Amino acid sequence: MDWLIAYQPDLDAICIGSLYALSQFIALRAGLFSLGSAGFGSIGAYAAAILGMRYGVPLPLALFFAVIIAVITGLLLSVPLARLRGHFQAVATVAFVEIVVSLALYFDGLTGGPSGINGIPKLIGTVDLLVAVAAVMAFCAVAERTSVGRAFGAIRQDDLVARSLGISVSRYHRLAFALSAGIAGLGGGLAAFNTYTIEPEQFGFGLLTLALGAVILGGRSSVIGPIVGTTIFVLLPELARPLSENRFLLQGALLIAVITFLPRGIVDSLRHRRAIVRERRHGAAAVAATRSP
Amino acid sequence: MIGGGGFDTTRMIAQQILNGLVVGAVYALFGLGFTLVYGVQKILNLAHGGIFMWGALIGFFVVTRLGLPLWSALILGMAGAGLLSMLLELVAFRHLRRRKGDDLSTLVSSLGANLILVNMAQQVTNSQIESFPFGIFPIRIWRVAGLMISLQTIVILACVALLVAMLLLYLFRTHFGAEVRAVAVSERTSLLLGIAPQAVFLQTFFIAGAMAGAAGVILGVAFNSVSYDMGEPMMLRAFVIIVLGGFGSVIGAVVAGLLLGVVQALSVALFSSALSDAIMFGVLILLLLAMPTGLFRGFDTEARRA
Repeated sequence: MDWLIAYQPDLDAICIGSLYALSQFIALRAGLFSLGSAGFGSIGAYAAAILGMRYGVPLPLALFFAVIIAVITGLLLSVPLARLRGHFQAVATVAFVEIVVSLALYFDGLTGGPSGINGIPKLIGTVDLLVAVAAVMAFCAVAERTSVGRAFGAIRQDDLVARSLGISVSRYHRLAFALSAGIAGLGGGLAAFNTYTIEPEQFGFGLLTLALGAVILGGRSSVIGPIVGTTIFVLLPELARPLSENRFLLQGALLIAVITFLPRGIVDSLRHRRAIVRERRHGAAAVAATRSP
Repeated sequence: MIGGGGFDTTRMIAQQILNGLVVGAVYALFGLGFTLVYGVQKILNLAHGGIFMWGALIGFFVVTRLGLPLWSALILGMAGAGLLSMLLELVAFRHLRRRKGDDLSTLVSSLGANLILVNMAQQVTNSQIESFPFGIFPIRIWRVAGLMISLQTIVILACVALLVAMLLLYLFRTHFGAEVRAVAVSERTSLLLGIAPQAVFLQTFFIAGAMAGAAGVILGVAFNSVSYDMGEPMMLRAFVIIVLGGFGSVIGAVVAGLLLGVVQALSVALFSSALSDAIMFGVLILLLLAMPTGLFRGFDTEARRA
């Protein structure tokens, strides 16, 4: 039990990071090259903190509105951005993240400007965070098995083919934007009431890198991947002092190594390997099932 | 840089435009390398900001630790950043290209490389903001038609003009430049013509790095500040430059860089810097939607027209 208390801050960080990573994950699942999760996280965090602190909205309602506001932003943003592809979409979503950072700095009457919002009561504990992560994972896993998940898969692999199959690519991209925004907004809202303080720069390029990095590190095809990736990102620097001083170096080297040698990420590479072993007994179908990019 | 010192609005605006041109010239140098790498290899190299920052750091150390004059800081900063950039290509991109990695994989790899570069810079500077010794650049200011023009401004603009001219001559008037453009159009066809794409890739990364390094040293001296986090804002501006100038267009990067510098100087004078950033990135999204090809075209579209 002592062990758990000592590592509680890490566990909290893993949970919050996992939500951002899951937001990035669902975007990539739908073939979106969106890096906007950090921006949606910021919107969720500020919405929840402002509603809860300034207007005395009760916590569950504040979180609910945080998610709704993030989803609405996602939907609005998706109308123009779903028209873009590849690098263009990536650049546009990075621009979105920076717009959110700049506006949070500018409207200091509402957001507290560069010093952010401080003294937010800690109403969200580790258990709440774990429940939230489990719920979002379950949601993503179920969505994957519905027609939405299959449409996402078709679009991700080839959006021309998806179109020829009668799948409305822009409609599903809008949906993916909304889902990604909602998950990140929830993460941001929970983070605000877990870490006492939020500030604009915390939701910038650094968070964008970590969310994307966690998904790549863990794996892009099962919901476990983003969790494993985030856990490694958070815990590895904690193992030894020299490691924590060189946290970014470690994370950067891991990212390059994984994308170079295990392009599917850790979880999916393991699953693939296990499937190959199984193949020797049962045939090729099992391998083909894990080979989706 | 120099505060807009004039008594009427026209002069104030003219002064801001001049100041903006100086910053814009640095943006142009930085954006050139970013767009060149994109044009030749279709990589969004997000470690370009890290290379830029290391150029500035190397220049800083050359002056403070080795005690060499400023011009050698520029040259060594360029050389160091160029070599670092080549190393980046070898470590972060070469394997991915061999495997035909997708857009996402090269982006992630460059993000990882950027983390490493920033971390190393934090270690050597103890996360402090460093500044060049006072009076490293002789302060001399002339008044021309009410404008304040400093020696530094003239030297910066001259340096940038020289570097850009050299790069353009290299790319469009030499055999090596023709090889670079050939690889940009088609790696496969260039192989058939006896060009070694790997060598061209290393070359473009060296040039891109050297340009970024020059930009780093110049900006470090101009603002008299060098720090591990100076790369990120430049990186974000490079997005605006590559979109406005046209993905992969070298001339576009120069025009877009200058334009961005001037517009930014004017808008910071009118609005706050946070709001002007928000407007800049808002315009970026609008540009992507309304004019995704930018002002100019890259090497490959140029070839398709011919």
